[in-house]
Amino acid sequence: MFLGLSVAATAFGLGWLGIILGTLLYEGFSGIDLALFTESTPPPGEMGGLLNAIAGSLIMGTLAVAVGTPIGIMAGTYLAEYGRYSRLAFFVRFVNDILLSAPSIVIGLFIYDLMVPTLGHFSAWAGAAALTVIVILVVVRTTENMLLLIPNTLREAAVALGSTRAHVIKRVTWRAAQAGMITGVLLAVARISGETAPLLFTALGNNFWSTDLNAPMAALPLAIFQMAQSPYEDWHRLAWAGALLITLAVLVLSITARILESQPERR
Amino acid sequence: MSMSANWPGSVKVAIKNLTFHYGNVQALKDVSLDIQSNKVTAIIGPSGCGKSTLLRVLNRIYEIYPNQRAEGEVVLDGENILSPSQDLNLLRAKVGMVFQKPTPFPMTIFDNIAFGIDLYEKLSRSEMEGRVESALRRAALWEEVKDKLTASGMSLSGGQQQRLCIARSVATKPEVILLDEPCSALDPISTAKIEELISELSLDYTIALVTHNMQQASRVSDYTAFMFLGELVEFGDTEKIFTTPSNKRTEDYITGRFG
Repeated sequence: MFLGLSVAATAFGLGWLGIILGTLLYEGFSGIDLALFTESTPPPGEMGGLLNAIAGSLIMGTLAVAVGTPIGIMAGTYLAEYGRYSRLAFFVRFVNDILLSAPSIVIGLFIYDLMVPTLGHFSAWAGAAALTVIVILVVVRTTENMLLLIPNTLREAAVALGSTRAHVIKRVTWRAAQAGMITGVLLAVARISGETAPLLFTALGNNFWSTDLNAPMAALPLAIFQMAQSPYEDWHRLAWAGALLITLAVLVLSITARILESQPERR
Repeated sequence: MSMSANWPGSVKVAIKNLTFHYGNVQALKDVSLDIQSNKVTAIIGPSGCGKSTLLRVLNRIYEIYPNQRAEGEVVLDGENILSPSQDLNLLRAKVGMVFQKPTPFPMTIFDNIAFGIDLYEKLSRSEMEGRVESALRRAALWEEVKDKLTASGMSLSGGQQQRLCIARSVATKPEVILLDEPCSALDPISTAKIEELISELSLDYTIALVTHNMQQASRVSDYTAFMFLGELVEFGDTEKIFTTPSNKRTEDYITGRFG
């Protein structure tokens, strides 16, 4: 009886997932052509692609990862290595977890308030800043978790040889946790590549090709949001294609992360 | 309790009235013990008796955790290493340690050995190669790994990993080596190899060995300390402790009546 219920619940959940993926593949593939990658947002009724949105996502994503990863790794290292028993670390960990599970639009609103009125306009900088916050939150958590998995005896062995804490972290614990920490960064990339809410009123979106960080910039999730809402059939097609692109990118990232995770820790 | 004055050999480490607390829990009660130079001193006793704690005071490794504190004196070569002015890196260069579970670092066999040497000396590549080889020879591991020095230290078997850890410890040229149940995770053949190694190493190093295994203590040590509930119950020649112990509790423990 119980087995039957669990199986039925699983089938129900997986069924919807299958329908969603199936629709995405069916609708998405029909929209994928060369123009998708070589042309920017078309006016309704004309041919075009998502080049500006793809480029925008890559630019802001790269900035966010470049800034957020070192901060996240250092903060996660503090939590796991130095602050394990401190009150400050307890507090930081708690706040980090709250922010991580809070709706990401909160982060978008915060960055909007901080940057957009100050700069006087929406910009790619603001979009990248909002994504950076998310990268930091994810990387702090995964870095701390991965470092906590490293047995203390390994740290003790390095300290017993006479190395300083900093040396132990740089040469031994980071290396032992390397695969897991890289996985964390990949997960952060996967997370931000689908985030729409933090970009809505920071990067805003842009229907034209732009690499100006001081101007509004397009991003895949924003383009999907805009196009799916529109009444135009060919924009819908582009939205499906964009959704498929993001899904495939996240799929590749997740698979890479899984492979890295399953590797035994070795050089 | 200290009977060392009657014995030949100089005292390398003199532990005087040592107490130790984990937070509010007292783990060592007024322990005094002399560890003789170039001998193997075994510390035995049931779980939780404080034997590992005692060992962990000797290189002050306990200090990486909060709320652990030692009081009393531990005199190594005439200096109290518990004094706040003691240079910890210098102390740990002089006092090496090998742990219960093998702890190879996630790097090559070569780099595992070079890790400790790098902390104290800047050597050329060829000098380093020489040092790594002699450390591995000293730990009786060279013949098994000489063709795969660039393999990961974690690819070795448990017994080999433990010998790698001994080699790593020896490589920094310590004077005292602390062994914390070094064989408890190993099979009998690996254990026999490590025991043989301990006897050889005692020619050049002062060794303190914590062990659960009484046969091991009787096989490899010159002196044995029996601890119980944080106290040093009896300390003396290994042969005497195992044949004619003067304390009833020691006798009960070594004859297997408890513990």
